[in-house]
Amino acid sequence: MLDTAIEYGICIPHLCHVPYLSDIGACRLCIVEHVVNGRSQVTTSCTLYVDEGMVIMTNTDRIRKLRRNLAELLVAYAPNSRAIQDIALRCGVTEVRYPFQNHECVLCGRCVRVCNEVWKARAIGFVGRGKNRHVDYPFGVRPEFCKQCGNCVQLCPMTITPCNGPMKPGEERLCGQCESQLIIADQTPGSCVWCKLGEGFACGRYA
Amino acid sequence: MSRLNSTREMEHLRERLREQRQSITTTVMVCGGTGCQASESQAVIDAVRDELSKQGLDASVRLCVTGCHGFCEQGPVIIIEPGNTFYCHVSPEDAFEIVYQTVMRGEVIERLLYTDLVSGERFQTESEIPFYQAQDRQILSQNRLVDPCSIEDYIVSGGYTALAKVLSAMTPEEIVEEIKASGLRGRGGGGFPTGRKWNECQEAPGDEKYVICNADEGDPGAYMDRCVLEGNPHLVLEGMMIGAWAIGARKGYIYVRNEYPLAVKNSRIAVEQARELGLLGDNILGSSFSFDVDVARGGGAFVCGESTALMTSIEGKVGEPRPKDVHTVVDGLYHKPTTLNNVETWANVPAIILNGSSWFASKGTQGSKGTKILALTGRIKNTGLVEVAMGTPIHDVVFEIGGGAVNGKPVKAVQTGGPSGGCLPVDKFDLAIDFDVLSEAGSMVGSGGMVVMDEETCMVDVAKYFLAFLQDESCGKCLPCRLGIDRMLEIINDITEGRGRPEQLDLLEELADTVAQTALCGLGKTAPNPVLSTLRYFRQEYEAHIKEKKCPAGVCKALITYWIDPDRCTGCRVCLQGCAHKAITGKKKQVHVIDTQLCQKCGICRSECKFDAIRVV
Repeated sequence: MLDTAIEYGICIPHLCHVPYLSDIGACRLCIVEHVVNGRSQVTTSCTLYVDEGMVIMTNTDRIRKLRRNLAELLVAYAPNSRAIQDIALRCGVTEVRYPFQNHECVLCGRCVRVCNEVWKARAIGFVGRGKNRHVDYPFGVRPEFCKQCGNCVQLCPMTITPCNGPMKPGEERLCGQCESQLIIADQTPGSCVWCKLGEGFACGRYA
Repeated sequence: MSRLNSTREMEHLRERLREQRQSITTTVMVCGGTGCQASESQAVIDAVRDELSKQGLDASVRLCVTGCHGFCEQGPVIIIEPGNTFYCHVSPEDAFEIVYQTVMRGEVIERLLYTDLVSGERFQTESEIPFYQAQDRQILSQNRLVDPCSIEDYIVSGGYTALAKVLSAMTPEEIVEEIKASGLRGRGGGGFPTGRKWNECQEAPGDEKYVICNADEGDPGAYMDRCVLEGNPHLVLEGMMIGAWAIGARKGYIYVRNEYPLAVKNSRIAVEQARELGLLGDNILGSSFSFDVDVARGGGAFVCGESTALMTSIEGKVGEPRPKDVHTVVDGLYHKPTTLNNVETWANVPAIILNGSSWFASKGTQGSKGTKILALTGRIKNTGLVEVAMGTPIHDVVFEIGGGAVNGKPVKAVQTGGPSGGCLPVDKFDLAIDFDVLSEAGSMVGSGGMVVMDEETCMVDVAKYFLAFLQDESCGKCLPCRLGIDRMLEIINDITEGRGRPEQLDLLEELADTVAQTALCGLGKTAPNPVLSTLRYFRQEYEAHIKEKKCPAGVCKALITYWIDPDRCTGCRVCLQGCAHKAITGKKKQVHVIDTQLCQKCGICRSECKFDAIRVV
């Protein structure tokens, strides 16, 4: 569903989705309203299959509000990435109501999936549960079959630092550097804003 | 025993077993369920067995170690048939008396009878006891008839007749129609119509299909699935066989958590015994139906009670939920059509087949049929398992069956449905136990946990407890559940520690709503329920924490201070000696004083004081 929407120029913000990888529905940013029998339910568009006669709403008040809240959680968790900051702005976050944290990984699982699915290496995976979940090598040691191809790094949204460089702990904020550009772009809904997440990530527009 | 090749052979076996048992004059049923095991019923069982063999009664008296009887508060429990004499709080020393007086002479031992806490009356038989009288025990009552490790017991009590009936006289379509007509809904929490689920799975394309019994029960304070599986595993197995025949599955799994060792053991024994008799395997009872069951053990993750996470766990992967855009009835275990039902749902199936759907539908309400087992825990007199018809008001369960709160304190609220459910205040107690009614009220029937709370429970603290539980148990896969619960807990921690701001309540509500709508699986979607329901019914408590910086129930440590009421203090020095932090000073027979700087608010002084002089503000 998400791929189709992007193909038709309807941008749905997304983070964990990569066109050539499987979809796990982890970031939940690509939520849409799916109307079934007159009742609309919120679901992620990346895991949804397109069907004849389907009714999907991508830009309702309800979706915008939910998406903004999710992006707010995300940017408060890991503000030190241009990609995450762009998503937050794209989703309309103007203030963050939670204390900032400074985490290095948002657990989108792009790296894990590219390693498992494209290279079949399975050199990294998710370890732990809940708050302790993190990406690691098997038993914390780099295995021989990790060829250090760097694909995981390439796909990582956290590798793009904000324009003014990384924020020091305690100085995290909503950076807002690109606000003007994004707001102008938002006036023509559905158009791609060429956000940093797409660049090099093959979001469809960049592929 | 040899393999049964036809329905007739099973009937013959049943007759033969019944004849064999005619020589038995008395049956002593000792509860060996987990609740009674905790009150050391094993020692009682051993003592009674020794005593019976000493008296040479092995042949004529049968000692039956059964599953849970439900009245766990009174354990260990013994019932003696004939006579239905009910003894509670039995100790190993009572074994001689029980065997000598009751078994051999038929006399009743007054001392061991149940005394009602409210009226002070003594009751001789199980059926007279108010706790049992107010119930409608369809599933639980079978627990006391059978030894869970004996397939003979189950067959003698009429087991596997429903299986024989469907194999000889019903088509799969007829079974599904029957279940549909009965109005049975999933007992695990969701309340999805079972018949519809079976129908969709039956119609799903594919030859390879699965049935799963979900016994990964993890709600705090809930243990009904455990007791059914421990006490009567063949009933669950029979239900699964009927379901498998209906949808066309050849393989089934019982997914039981490893923390339930007795349930694992008993279900394994049951599967072995059924295989031996040919009730599992190829061409069951000479029909074309072939089916086998494996017991899969869960590794202790609460999230594995969620259907898709459970399936990935059986597949050998990390137990994490996956998106359910295509339902599990089409794309389930190993991406094949799968019917997953809860223990209690499966246990309801044989009775529906035997007695007909109209019998089942005659109980309950418009939308919710049949009976529901509830685990009554918390600050209540009669802790235990309760089975009532759907539609029974909460009030009846808490006060008539449960006997009200301990210490006679007023009941404040009841938490239903575990971490996914919500808290209902006492003025909502006239609500019926019904899937739709409770979810409308912001709670849910859920798996059936019922935690009763009195005035000394702080509702903000309750929400905090459940959030902390869910934060621990969230798999961390999706963003709203992992970060959302974390932030909700952060806000609640602020509130309970006196840093709360009024605008945080709105943020909490908005965040809870976001998580509920966007999370990936059932755990995340229902995680905000404890917060939302306490905010809905007990907002004034939140506000007291934030505005007045006070905890009305006296629970949140940062917001309370202990002081000694000078009018009541007699200077007995008991609290002074009990205080581990040396925070209490005072001379003998003079009023004592608590040093608030040193006080750690542990509450020992309050529980020690006989004059109720220690107050919490």
